[in-house]
Amino acid sequence: MLLHLLVLAPFVAAILMAATSKEDPKSSSRLAFIFGLAFVVLSVMLIAAGNKATDPIEWFRIPGCKGPVYYYLYSHGLGAWMVFLSTALSLVALVSARVTACKNYRNFAIGIFSLMGAMNGTFLAADAVLFFFFFEAMVIPAAILIASYGGKESSKAAMTFAIYTLVGSAPMMVALWYLLTKADNSLLLSLAVALQSLPAGAQTAILASFLLAFLVKTPVFPFHGWQAITYAEAPAPLSAILTGAMSKAGVFGFIAWILPIFPLNMSIVSTMMWLGLATAVYGALMALRATDGKKLLAFSSMSHLGIAVAGVFSLSEAMLPAVLVLLVAHGLCAGAQFFLMGIAERMAGTRELDKLGGLSGNSPVFSTLFGALGVMSLAVPGTAGFVGEFTVLLSLWDMGPFAALVMGFSMILSAAYMLRFIQKVIFGKASGSYDNGPRTSGLEGASIGIMAVLLLVFGFHPAFVTDSLHLFDEETVEQMNDAGKAADGEEAAETDEDADEDELPQAMTPDEIAQLDSSLKANGFTDEERKSLITQVVGAEAALALESRVQAGLDAEASDDAKTNDEALNKEASND
Amino acid sequence: MTQLPLWLIPLFPLVATILLGTIAVISSGSKKGPAEGIVGALAVLFPALSFAVVAVLAFGMPEAGIRETLCNWIDIPLFKADIGFMFDGLSRIMLLFVTGIGTLIALYSTGYMHGDRGFARFFAYINLFLFSMIVLVLSDNLLLTFLGWEGVGLCSYLLIGFWNKDLSNCKAANKAFIVNRVGDIGFLLGMLCLVTVGGSGILNYDALSAFIQMILTGGHVEIVLPVLSLTGLLFFFGCTGKSAQIPLLTWLPDAMAGPTPVSALIHAATMVTSGVYLLARMGSMFALLPVVLDIITVIGMLTAFWAAMAGLFQNDIKKVLAYSTISQLGYMFMAAGVCAFDASIFHVFTHAFFKAALFLGAGAVIHSLAGEQDMRKMGGLIKKTPVTACVMIFAFFAIIGFPGFAGFWSKDLILERLFVSGPMGPTFYVIGLFTAIITAVYMGRLIILTFFGEYRGSKESEEHIHEAPASMLLPMVVLAFGAVFAGYLWAESIGVTFFSDTLAPVVGSAQAYAATLHPHAHVNPMIFAGLGTLAALLGMFIAYKVYGSARVPAAKGSSAPEGRKATWTFFFDYVHKYVGIIPVQVLAWICDVVVDKILQAAQWTIGAIATILGDGATVVQVRKVRLQVAFSIAGVVALVAVVLLTGGLI
Repeated sequence: MLLHLLVLAPFVAAILMAATSKEDPKSSSRLAFIFGLAFVVLSVMLIAAGNKATDPIEWFRIPGCKGPVYYYLYSHGLGAWMVFLSTALSLVALVSARVTACKNYRNFAIGIFSLMGAMNGTFLAADAVLFFFFFEAMVIPAAILIASYGGKESSKAAMTFAIYTLVGSAPMMVALWYLLTKADNSLLLSLAVALQSLPAGAQTAILASFLLAFLVKTPVFPFHGWQAITYAEAPAPLSAILTGAMSKAGVFGFIAWILPIFPLNMSIVSTMMWLGLATAVYGALMALRATDGKKLLAFSSMSHLGIAVAGVFSLSEAMLPAVLVLLVAHGLCAGAQFFLMGIAERMAGTRELDKLGGLSGNSPVFSTLFGALGVMSLAVPGTAGFVGEFTVLLSLWDMGPFAALVMGFSMILSAAYMLRFIQKVIFGKASGSYDNGPRTSGLEGASIGIMAVLLLVFGFHPAFVTDSLHLFDEETVEQMNDAGKAADGEEAAETDEDADEDELPQAMTPDEIAQLDSSLKANGFTDEERKSLITQVVGAEAALALESRVQAGLDAEASDDAKTNDEALNKEASND
Repeated sequence: MTQLPLWLIPLFPLVATILLGTIAVISSGSKKGPAEGIVGALAVLFPALSFAVVAVLAFGMPEAGIRETLCNWIDIPLFKADIGFMFDGLSRIMLLFVTGIGTLIALYSTGYMHGDRGFARFFAYINLFLFSMIVLVLSDNLLLTFLGWEGVGLCSYLLIGFWNKDLSNCKAANKAFIVNRVGDIGFLLGMLCLVTVGGSGILNYDALSAFIQMILTGGHVEIVLPVLSLTGLLFFFGCTGKSAQIPLLTWLPDAMAGPTPVSALIHAATMVTSGVYLLARMGSMFALLPVVLDIITVIGMLTAFWAAMAGLFQNDIKKVLAYSTISQLGYMFMAAGVCAFDASIFHVFTHAFFKAALFLGAGAVIHSLAGEQDMRKMGGLIKKTPVTACVMIFAFFAIIGFPGFAGFWSKDLILERLFVSGPMGPTFYVIGLFTAIITAVYMGRLIILTFFGEYRGSKESEEHIHEAPASMLLPMVVLAFGAVFAGYLWAESIGVTFFSDTLAPVVGSAQAYAATLHPHAHVNPMIFAGLGTLAALLGMFIAYKVYGSARVPAAKGSSAPEGRKATWTFFFDYVHKYVGIIPVQVLAWICDVVVDKILQAAQWTIGAIATILGDGATVVQVRKVRLQVAFSIAGVVALVAVVLLTGGLI
């Protein structure tokens, strides 16, 4: 129920918003606020509820495909947190847009709610076609909002954004359709199984087209052409949503779709990792030279997401929680920074860094928030960003010291550009007289303040985030399995290949599994860990992922050994 | 007696930060600002409470120390870290002077910052700094230490740029933070190196010592030596950032842009010594790494000498003290480099007193001259501000190592340990001693230019010179007492070894291990004491001869040293510029102007091709019914064919 509400209700809310009057922004903003708040509450409930899945409902059949397309939602920690980001940032955007004398608040709210629904759908879809549907659907409200509420070059920005991202995911559509003609249905695991039977060349082609869609969405260098202009020209509240929640769809796609479906080989993994790192450094360097405040934030966002992508493809065992914390931290922090930059633009009438300055004298509350969030984006320990970046650094260190060094370099650069940004905007003397637009409203300041507090809370207690992460744990797998059975009883034998470790896809014999199992056991994994590992292996049969995990396991074991030795020695010493 | 919980110590400054921060933000809208009495009282009371807790704990501390794990911090596969505190001999000493001097300087600041619009904000930052510093020294693992480590860097940034209307202050603050960030990456990577060797548990200091003990008893030193050496180097790189050693020393002189109490607290007494603390804390590891230790000694030696030379040429009274701090930190690193961790911490301790006293004295001078920092416009102030002058002269005797004063005991100890450290020992000793002479010269110059001779400022300003208020004088006098007597906690020649005894449980084993490598003959400490005294006297004599009678050149506007001497961080500013900043700028330029343009061109090309093709396609969009129908039929046929070929609709 929760899942349906989160995905469908935003569209209903959008329709209801249409009933309010255009001429009365006050009442429509109140209604929008109530809706927005309700969605945030729902998303928090979703995180608290843990893993959940709806009953799959047959939606339609694509000609030429064996199985139907389901309307089927499920949530795991990762998706739930992304939904939280999308709802929370939408709420703040609705609050913030209230002060920005919007030409037509009602339509803005309609756009935001449809965007939110599409994003939630993307993060919660369990069916590949459904995922793709929402993945594409996100673009439309966003582009319309940019075109109608953006800055001077807004229509150009909207066109660039829409065409770039739609073209980027067009190959994915073809690849998905081709894959569906081979698969039993469009659920994750049958896709993975279907992929195994294809020749290697076709596999690579499909992988490339999937990767392209997510690379463009994130964006990763060199596919970032749409990003800076879009973020700069979009109205600031929308930029916050775009960077805080929508750009996460790319990274989410890597984790939730690429890794389970495709057997990745080493060269692809390391290419992706280095692309991520290149993005991190490139974004940071571009941010150093940016003269437009919003572009600077856009490049900063690109740099941080590059780190997240690199983290994903480090494939270490710590990768998933590390990247999740990083994404949550970045979503809150970058989102809040865009809101603040929007306020600065509103107050000063410009977003040119050289024309800004001295805001700390005019509006101390604003500049306190601005400075605090700027510092938080530097991943200072005690904030969520630090936990994320440190653990990602740890994952990268496993891939080699040089990768970690490059990430360290981008962290230094981030300090350089962010401090320059803070200095240019709030310190010094105002270089010109300002228009004195509307200042920070109480509600706006409070909501951004809450985001800052959340960053601190997650920084000191990241378990709130990491504990909710059971992407591949037993319960979900079984739940999905049961759901599959319930959906089409007569085809149970076929669909059962979903993640049941007894009925295996042809690619891996039970003997191999048993062998793997015993070797894992020998390495000292607990039952639960083994089971989850094996499900992953069966699902994706990513040879490399396996290797790296076992390697990681060995490392962990080695350290455990060291520890036990240690303890033994201590005991001996005390006995002596 | 039930023990006080350790978390009380950092809690007090944290509460004060939140309170004062709230006051600062709430009152920011009003014209007048919050009442200084209440803010000042809060700002002094909470650090004082924290000091009281430390004092109570310090007296009741068992030999092995107190350990306390609060809660879990990070818990993910492959990595676990707790928030835990450790109160032992080393953190006891550090905490006592951090909270003690912190309280005194907060008191001093209530006078110094009187009437400043950012009064509450200033004390919020100071308390946040104290919180971070306490966490740094109290934590029981490296990750939490890193929290304090970056926390103090952040506070330093905030306080250097406190007067943020002036962009040069902001630039100094940015420089401090970025240079520190470079060092911090070393710290981070060092932690990762350690994790590679021994799992995430090894970040705990106790576990680290146990691990070192294990490889020692197991005889596996050779196996882990390469990785540990790398680790040690990375950590030391982190220390050079925080403690302003070569090559990352350039930020500290610029950091003098902050209010003077900040320079006293952060850039002299506490934060900059955290590098020395870290080396001592990880002493058991560093003791195993001869190469790293040699590097530390040489870097420390070069820095000490270099900064002392630079100190000779400064005209800004605070800059002299800044270089002097760098130089003294160099001494501490030299000591740490020969595994004399207790001596280095002892110098940290005494240095905290006399350098804080010097800075506060300089602050009082600046305050009385209404903001003048150029020593060439001072002179003869001993008549006008006798208390300040006395405090500074006592501290001066301490820093040059005049017999009986605090610096004498600690510096002497370091020089002695250097001499006996091994084959290179005498060389280190000679350079250390020579640096001590230079120290006496530049400090003598400071005292002479400031307090003796004739007043060189304008006539009008002379009438306004006044002694500082009592709230400023009291902390200075207390610190001056410290500068005189702090050394008697470890005066071996009169039989007091309290200080080394209290540190022995922490650093004793490391030093014992190092001592086995270089067995040394017994030397007579009196010779060293004599030579040290001689160095101080010689330096004072030179200073008197050169600066006592010479005409001081008139100041020309800026207080910066003339000519190219403005860069007397000895070209390290240039090195940073050409090695760090310019390559990055060039890279950024390439990204922005070359790569980005190429990508845009590619985009444009594809877009243009698409447009052209689209234009071509419009040719068939004409009003020819037959053609249109033909297209439609072809389309339907194609669709049906696809459907049939791929398996039909169901």
